[in-house]
Amino acid sequence: MARRWWTLPLFLVSALAPSFSLAGPAFENTAIVRTIELGGSLVHVSTTYAVKALEPGQTTYQIALSKVERAKTSWLEAKVKGQTTPLKLSEDESSAEYLLSISLPKALAVNGTLNLVLETMQTHATHPFPEQAAQNEPQLLKYETDLFTISPYTTLVQRTKIKSIAPNVISYTTPHDVDSFVRDGSVTRSGGTITYGPYHDIQTDTDFVAKHQQSVSVHYSFDYPVIEVETLRRTAEISHWGSNLNIEDKAHLHNAGPTLKGHFSRLEYQSQNFQRKQAPHILSDFTLHLPPGVTNAYFYDQNGNVSTSHLRTAPSVAKGSKAVQYSVLQLRPRYPVLGGWNYSYTIGFDTPLQDSVSYDAKDGVYMVGVPVMTPIPGTVVNDAEVKIILPEGATNVKFVSPFPEISNSMSTHISYLDTAGRPAVTFTYKDLTYKHTGTIYVSYQVPLSAHLKKAVSVSAAFFSLFAFAFMARRVNLNLHKK
Amino acid sequence: LNHAEQALHNSLPPFSPYVPASLLPSIALILLASTFVLAFYFSTLPKDTFPLRETAVASLASVLGGFGVVALFCSAGVNV
Repeated sequence: MARRWWTLPLFLVSALAPSFSLAGPAFENTAIVRTIELGGSLVHVSTTYAVKALEPGQTTYQIALSKVERAKTSWLEAKVKGQTTPLKLSEDESSAEYLLSISLPKALAVNGTLNLVLETMQTHATHPFPEQAAQNEPQLLKYETDLFTISPYTTLVQRTKIKSIAPNVISYTTPHDVDSFVRDGSVTRSGGTITYGPYHDIQTDTDFVAKHQQSVSVHYSFDYPVIEVETLRRTAEISHWGSNLNIEDKAHLHNAGPTLKGHFSRLEYQSQNFQRKQAPHILSDFTLHLPPGVTNAYFYDQNGNVSTSHLRTAPSVAKGSKAVQYSVLQLRPRYPVLGGWNYSYTIGFDTPLQDSVSYDAKDGVYMVGVPVMTPIPGTVVNDAEVKIILPEGATNVKFVSPFPEISNSMSTHISYLDTAGRPAVTFTYKDLTYKHTGTIYVSYQVPLSAHLKKAVSVSAAFFSLFAFAFMARRVNLNLHKK
Repeated sequence: LNHAEQALHNSLPPFSPYVPASLLPSIALILLASTFVLAFYFSTLPKDTFPLRETAVASLASVLGGFGVVALFCSAGVNV
């Protein structure tokens, strides 16, 4: 098996050594390509590691992320390039960085190669610069990142590509002191893509990071409003009598682009609309894709109903089958949301219960699937709370979230015709993006007696009226004796 | 994280209510009309010492009224 006598002792030593600088010669990165797609509130980073195993029987590959980068990352997924199933990963925090240990699909032999892709979604990674913009000025954002992609293993060549959607990049930093790694230029630009690299023979240990790691920033123009949903409260109420699932979202939108300089000019806004050249940092409308089979949709804010909306419903599809067509809801807030402004609203809709709830007759167990959120395209949700209200008398409640939640809790919610109240499950999340669209599954049991409790309580109220009438008929209120 | 639950949820039969939702407005009308008629009849009953008839009519009217109100709420959009 081993050709050199020192291979096995070295393997044992490297397995014991601290992982930062001596994760050792278990792997070698033949190439690392990090592609950063710049957005407004969301930045999509995709890093491809071309990995070569130097030791036999390797089943775990480690990826390093700096503390700053991990703090910005709200979603990550590792896959083999070209495949769709995500690989299992576990996280460890050391004093200098975060290490993700990825379980390879099968063990790599010596000199075996594999292409791994780590996809991450960063939130709150850009900031407007200049921080203020007048109504007719463009929207410019700045993004900062580390120049070198760190890794516990030696990298033969690495490059970082930063892509902006709009081709006009205002400026980008030129790296300094990188001549020892560079063969051609250290940075090149082609339209909206800036390429840092290729950099050769990098070993990102502590000395290297202290001496050569530097921050590079890109100042670019972004043509869509930068929207953050500061809080999102979703309530899903299940009704067995009405065979209905009502979902209501209360959202607080914030335009996180450059704050408005000067005052808002309605004349300027109308003339921009007329010429179809609206300033990029103004949010005037957005579109939501609701489930098919939506009825009774409503959209209101603190002032009352907002009529500037348009709903195109799609026909209902059976539970579990993939929706071919979504219901499209175009919303126009009561006023255009300029930089630094906020807008709060409530939307809600009903869907038939048979599209979301299944019933296992053998155990009498119901299971409901509630989507975590309806994403607004290109936005991040800072703080989300999903509350699922089960029918009165639900017992044996079990639930599972599609991705780890910050916290979950059970409470009692009191609504119409309730006597004891309904059990409710609440999940809290933070920094949700369009990658976090999953379904929460809750299973529960409701006996027939709990269903009938509603009708029986109303009957009791009616009967008390009749009992009062019974006694009232027998009371003589005549003033004079007959 | 919840692939097993998703597969189970997709494979099980969908929820079906005891009473189809489209019938609820008609049921509400019938039950509440019956409650009204029975309440009127209750008011015309003689006052006996052993109120068998009164209790029977009152109980029937209450039960019909209870289910009628639940059906009324659901057909009005307040899905209880």
